[in-house]
Amino acid sequence: MRKKLLLLLALGSWPSYSYSESIAPYWGTTGNVIADQSLNWSMGGVLPEPLGLDIQNVIYSYKIQKETGEWVTVHVQNENANGTGYIFRETDEWKPGTSTGMGINKVVPVGDLPRELWGPGSIDIEGNGSVYDANVIYTYKVTPCYDPQYDPNCPGYKVPTPNIVEVNLDDLYDVFDDENVDLERNKSIEQDDINLEENERKKKEEEEEAKRKYRLEKALGAADAASLFAENARIQQMNLVAAQNLQAYVIAGIPGGVYNDVVDLRDSKLPDAKTGLRNGLAQQLLHKQMVEMQYNLNTN
Amino acid sequence: MLNFKSGIGIALLVAGATAAHAQQNTPINGTVQSRCIIQTDQPGIYGNPNAYTLSTTNTDGGSPPVIRVDVTLAAAYYLDITAPSAFSSAPSLPDVVTWAGDTTVKSMSDSTNMGGYETGKLETGYTDRYDLTATGSTWFETTSTATLGGSRAFPGGNYTALVTAACIAK
Repeated sequence: MRKKLLLLLALGSWPSYSYSESIAPYWGTTGNVIADQSLNWSMGGVLPEPLGLDIQNVIYSYKIQKETGEWVTVHVQNENANGTGYIFRETDEWKPGTSTGMGINKVVPVGDLPRELWGPGSIDIEGNGSVYDANVIYTYKVTPCYDPQYDPNCPGYKVPTPNIVEVNLDDLYDVFDDENVDLERNKSIEQDDINLEENERKKKEEEEEAKRKYRLEKALGAADAASLFAENARIQQMNLVAAQNLQAYVIAGIPGGVYNDVVDLRDSKLPDAKTGLRNGLAQQLLHKQMVEMQYNLNTN
Repeated sequence: MLNFKSGIGIALLVAGATAAHAQQNTPINGTVQSRCIIQTDQPGIYGNPNAYTLSTTNTDGGSPPVIRVDVTLAAAYYLDITAPSAFSSAPSLPDVVTWAGDTTVKSMSDSTNMGGYETGKLETGYTDRYDLTATGSTWFETTSTATLGGSRAFPGGNYTALVTAACIAK
């Protein structure tokens, strides 16, 4: 039961989450559209770019400058872009008795009027007077899904289909109708194309193998170079140490005097050593045995 | 036992007497939303152009308070705005203060129907009374100047004065 309730709750809240934030309507306000004392402005540079923009309110203020006895009429207005007259026109009567410095602050709701209807705006003055510190602001609402194709989540969105040009097949070039084309030759070309693909594949594999070998050689070369460098460094170090310990010459004291021959060989008969004789004989016998062994092998 | 019974009998007798003269007051509640709403649009600031003067005039370094009045029912209210005639809080002053003040219409939402507010107002002392004949918003500005007697210097400290505005139903 509890699971069912949770499921119902989730289903109930689903639409609010499935409604993308990017397509939700949003509201905004322009800055003051009166940039100078000309009291004229164009809506193109005032409103933001998006389609689906509707103006909802015109907020304006200004101060009147006139003699107390004068009657001045002030119109704040926008021309109708799709026709004659005005899409918006608000009139303020400044009757005698009102004086310089009095101001007006007004918020005029206009409903939701699409931006396409809003032509150039102006403040028009009738009578002897002028306005200053004028400020005109528009509030607007933007509905992104005004164009259903704006976002796939917009109601009425249609999946775009590619524009496929219809071609009359009869007008197409038919190779079978071409007398200059040898179809057998085309077959060989197709076969060649297959072979070409195979060759290209093999060529790529060979290139890849060559690259692998090259990289391996480079790596080994780098390792050898490193070991060689280390060996050289070791030898240099040894030489350096040896040079420190080795003297260029030897200082030795040689005592003077005469060294007489101390060997005294007297003439006598020197007999042959019997051990040497036995040894020689034994070697001779061994030699003979070895020589005979080869003949024995052959006979076997 | 006897006492208990008589006690009940008295109680019933009293209850019967109450039922015979039942009376109850039932309230009727209601809330009236004023059609005239006053709010402070901008608080004022006293400038101190010299030692003995406090002024809300811009040229004196001050800023006048602005009161906004929104009316949703035409010709139903007067508006009384009273400029200050005393400090609501201030340091102890060594002399008497002389006050001057005035209220004017600063701005409006309907010049055609509110343009006559300023010329049609009634001034009584520090109070200006406006006849709110049109619906919409009107902004009133009150200036106030306080001068200490004998050209004495205002003691240092914070000074506060209040402008009072009231919608009075006709």
